[in-house]
Amino acid sequence: MVTAAGNRGVVCATDEVSARIEDLQFTLGEGACVDAVQAGTPVLVGELDEPGDIVVERWPAFMEGAAGAGVRAVFAFPLRIGAITVGVLDLYRDRPGDLTAGQLATALMAADTAALALLYLGSGRRGAFADDTHGHAAYQMQVHQATGMVKIQLGVTIEEAFLMLRAHAFAAGRPVAEVARDVVERRLRFSTEDR
Amino acid sequence: MSNADATRSRPAAQGPGREQALAETFVMLADTLVEDYDIVDLLDRLVAACLGLLGVSAAGLLLDDQKGNLAVVASSSEETRLLEIFQLQNNQGPCLDCVHTGSAVTSADLRADRARWPLFVPVAVAAGFRSVAALPLRLRDHTIGGLNLFDGHTDPVSVADQRIAQALADVATIGILQQRSAHRGTMLAEHLQRALNSRVIIEQAKGVLAERNAVDMNAAFEALRQYARNHNLKLTELALAVVRGDVEPGAIVPRSPAN
Repeated sequence: MVTAAGNRGVVCATDEVSARIEDLQFTLGEGACVDAVQAGTPVLVGELDEPGDIVVERWPAFMEGAAGAGVRAVFAFPLRIGAITVGVLDLYRDRPGDLTAGQLATALMAADTAALALLYLGSGRRGAFADDTHGHAAYQMQVHQATGMVKIQLGVTIEEAFLMLRAHAFAAGRPVAEVARDVVERRLRFSTEDR
Repeated sequence: MSNADATRSRPAAQGPGREQALAETFVMLADTLVEDYDIVDLLDRLVAACLGLLGVSAAGLLLDDQKGNLAVVASSSEETRLLEIFQLQNNQGPCLDCVHTGSAVTSADLRADRARWPLFVPVAVAAGFRSVAALPLRLRDHTIGGLNLFDGHTDPVSVADQRIAQALADVATIGILQQRSAHRGTMLAEHLQRALNSRVIIEQAKGVLAERNAVDMNAAFEALRQYARNHNLKLTELALAVVRGDVEPGAIVPRSPAN
């Protein structure tokens, strides 16, 4: 995970190999995960040992360590919602080859869920952990706009604003998109007294 | 939607005026593509160009979010009804059909196509639209999204207009695939996710500006674009700085704060 201050730490690894690779990227400051944080986009490398690949040239030390651990493909997904960045989900495989469309969809959705989970984990807040980020693409625009508005209304970070908006929806038993619409259309204001 | 007036005649420009506009649009797009451009900025300009060149009432660009949905990445208006129409296309409608089939889907009279899209047509008609065209964003053998054009009257899109629209859709595809990235050989998935997240950052920044400067979302966006242009910044980078608090939002005000 990556904090707003840029501090990094490994939150969870499924086995020893992934733990080793995570530590390696951490120590070296290079690798798919590092690039995914910097670029803010997924970094998908299906063929880690394809010679001459520019990707491979970027991470000489990481490559060596990954090969030693038997890793042949790496897929790093930043956990982010616009300007909110909470970490990276790294997937490793011992076989080369790109992700299928189905695997990609699953990984992207897992990254969305992990982003929410980590945001809550970092805030120590409980509550609205329902994953309603899917299927409301147009209304999501208003959720993002409302997040920006709440940030100013409460004088908090964008991460906190995002959580406050969801906490309000959860407490009121309403969909986040509906609450967001009220905020954007200025029927609802967050005030510091409500916090 | 005031400009979705069924009595207005279609083309904004015909003959030499239109040729001139067409040339200027493609010069602008080509200029943008050779620079280190911002993808959302490019797609927004492209959508705006559709209105002027094709004389349609509204336009939007939807991208495959690779999670099974189409996400709006550029829209000619902030109007919620328009966004709802785009959203609806995740279940049914010309854009969904267009993305699934990889070819253009048109309806010259939406009311006559009610049986084809029973959910979509009533909503589009209620919003004042009478005809629609959806053009695919094609990349070799697959389709990464669709350009949606809506109009307030029932003319079929001419063959010439459809070719122009398809060319604009192709420019959008090129723009998405040519974004500067962390490494060469960047996958399509990385490009699509970057474009979609850029849009989210910009929406968050619009919210910050709208609240801080007491303006509506359109004015907030216009101010953001103006400031980016004047200070030679990329739209997404500026938006990120605004959301992160690295740029004072009070400095990014529209020229006429009353709107």
